[in-house]
Amino acid sequence: MRGWMLVLVGLIGFSAFCAESLVVIGPWSGAEAEPFLAVLKAFTEKTGVPVEYRVMRAEDIATVFPAQFAAGLTPGDLVFGWGWWIKEFAGHMVDLSSEIAGIPFVTEPIIVEGKAVGVPYVTWVKPGFWYRKSFFAAHNLQAPTNWTDFISLLERIETIPGVEKAAASGDGVGWPLSDMTEHFLLTFGGLDLFMGLIEGKVKWESPEVRAIFENYLLPFLGHASEPIEWTAALDMWWDGKYGIYFMGNWITGMVEDPNDLGVFTLPGCKAVVGGTDYMFIPKYSKRVEDARKLLAFLISKEGVALRVSKGGKLSMRADVGPENYPPAEAALAQAVGALTIAPDMDDTIGGDWQRAFWDQLKLLWVKPEALDDVLRILDQLHPAAKG
Amino acid sequence: MVFLGPGLLLLFLFVIFPAVQTLFLSFQNKDGFAGLTNFVNLFRDEAIWNPARFPTKVPPWGALLHNLVWVCIHLPLTVGLGLVLAVVFAKAPRWVGFARSALFLGIVTPMIVGGVIIRYLFEAHSGIIPQILGALGVPKPWSSGWMAYPETALLGLILGSIWLWVGFSMILHSAGLSSIDPELFEAAQIDGASEWAQFWYITVPLLRPVTIVVAVLTLFWELKIFDIVYVATMGGPGRASTVLALEMYFAGFRALDPYRASAIATLITVVSVPLGYWFAVRRLRA
Repeated sequence: MRGWMLVLVGLIGFSAFCAESLVVIGPWSGAEAEPFLAVLKAFTEKTGVPVEYRVMRAEDIATVFPAQFAAGLTPGDLVFGWGWWIKEFAGHMVDLSSEIAGIPFVTEPIIVEGKAVGVPYVTWVKPGFWYRKSFFAAHNLQAPTNWTDFISLLERIETIPGVEKAAASGDGVGWPLSDMTEHFLLTFGGLDLFMGLIEGKVKWESPEVRAIFENYLLPFLGHASEPIEWTAALDMWWDGKYGIYFMGNWITGMVEDPNDLGVFTLPGCKAVVGGTDYMFIPKYSKRVEDARKLLAFLISKEGVALRVSKGGKLSMRADVGPENYPPAEAALAQAVGALTIAPDMDDTIGGDWQRAFWDQLKLLWVKPEALDDVLRILDQLHPAAKG
Repeated sequence: MVFLGPGLLLLFLFVIFPAVQTLFLSFQNKDGFAGLTNFVNLFRDEAIWNPARFPTKVPPWGALLHNLVWVCIHLPLTVGLGLVLAVVFAKAPRWVGFARSALFLGIVTPMIVGGVIIRYLFEAHSGIIPQILGALGVPKPWSSGWMAYPETALLGLILGSIWLWVGFSMILHSAGLSSIDPELFEAAQIDGASEWAQFWYITVPLLRPVTIVVAVLTLFWELKIFDIVYVATMGGPGRASTVLALEMYFAGFRALDPYRASAIATLITVVSVPLGYWFAVRRLRA
């Protein structure tokens, strides 16, 4: 009898060891991934389905997955990717209409030919320049109320001992620079001009766009650091080498003390960029049903409330409100509540233009005199110009 | 033939068929046969060919010229340095083996990791090169983040990659040196030949076949360089450090344009094959 028991225990242990995990692929790593990992853990505890999280940037997903799809394979069961890319490869994805039915989304799912192929998972906003309240209080600094104030603030920050430049410029593949540029375009050009640039109806070389660069962005660049890897820039800004840092609201989940964070938009700003990370399930997954279960949990009230309570993200469900947010997010939600949310420009246009946008801005940051070339190339490579 | 069969089959499936397919695609567009249009468009695209800026203005000069600049700087330095280091280490005491290992480390380091190392080597705050140059009073951009500036990005990549590749050249030349009969050097010493004369009249000529092999392999490595550039700069800023293989990748996986990507792949082959042939066959015969 004891022998049979041992065999049984051994078999259970062996089958548990062999249980294949559901593979989730997303772009977050390190401190940025921890809140999401907590949600995955809650799912496993609830359903018993083990989940393995793998980090892969959207750029790499766009590279690796097409060949996998062509072979009828997928490296992940539930994957996060760019919206434009999901639309492009919609034919390889599971229809998730039944999972999203009845959910009051703040951001719309991706529907292609009547099929829901991309589902939004929480939201982020890029509200403006972050500062440490303690740093501003120690040096008697205040958030600006007009453009002159803003430039004065930059100049005052640069007089503080130990400060290298007033503003830190995050870099990586280039997106923090594009976020900042989009904020300038929205503030000084307005939503119509911004949408016109996305759709290709407004040219980058047009006088009104050029004026925004010339009169606002370039003077600001005189007070901004050269592009620095964005997480390193975050540390240096937190340590006081820079006074302000433009970043999305996920920054609240990446700093030691989110309650020390303050944020201000450029004076006069009426719209900020916001968006979501889209999930999809490749139809080649061998665990489609489990992946559906996980997706349903992630977008459920319970799953969303759990995720937003960890900070760094806002809810994409209308019925999960600020009462679930930590204090920093609650204050942010209140601050951006009166603003219009605009789509992320480079994520919306996507393709090679997105890469070129990031790259040209990296050039502009260190060579402001290259403005004409930068604007010309952005016009040349826009999908609308290519036809 | 029975024994060759499986190998030939694999060669056909994984080398010949994709190569022919790529060549075929390079003459196509989404509407069908396109003749040389893809190639004409490549040479009209300043991302690939921008000689108007070369060499008087800072990069970008176009990916093709960047590759050729890479060859002009990297090839002589890695091949020459590898040869000199091999000779120096052959005559140096045993403990110098540590230095030889450090140099060889570059070649066993994955190039992706190498790209990250290069990026941080030239980074404004943590990079040793800008810090040293800054301490010497050298102005920006040389004392700042090299990868952030168009003047320095390409040169930084090339110089950084020398460490990654010189170990290869050194090891092959070391192997070649060990095959040279020591009596030749002894005879030269008896005749009063200096160290330099021994190097120039014995070592260099007898190592020539090895040097040619190193040069050919280095040349191909330079023409298909991708990973270091992708990781360290993504070809930027403003395409100032882009190379052909990176443009091929962007065309294929970002612009989702297999025809342009195939045309660039064919261009890389067209540039590589004659140079490789010239090195490998004609120089060996000479």
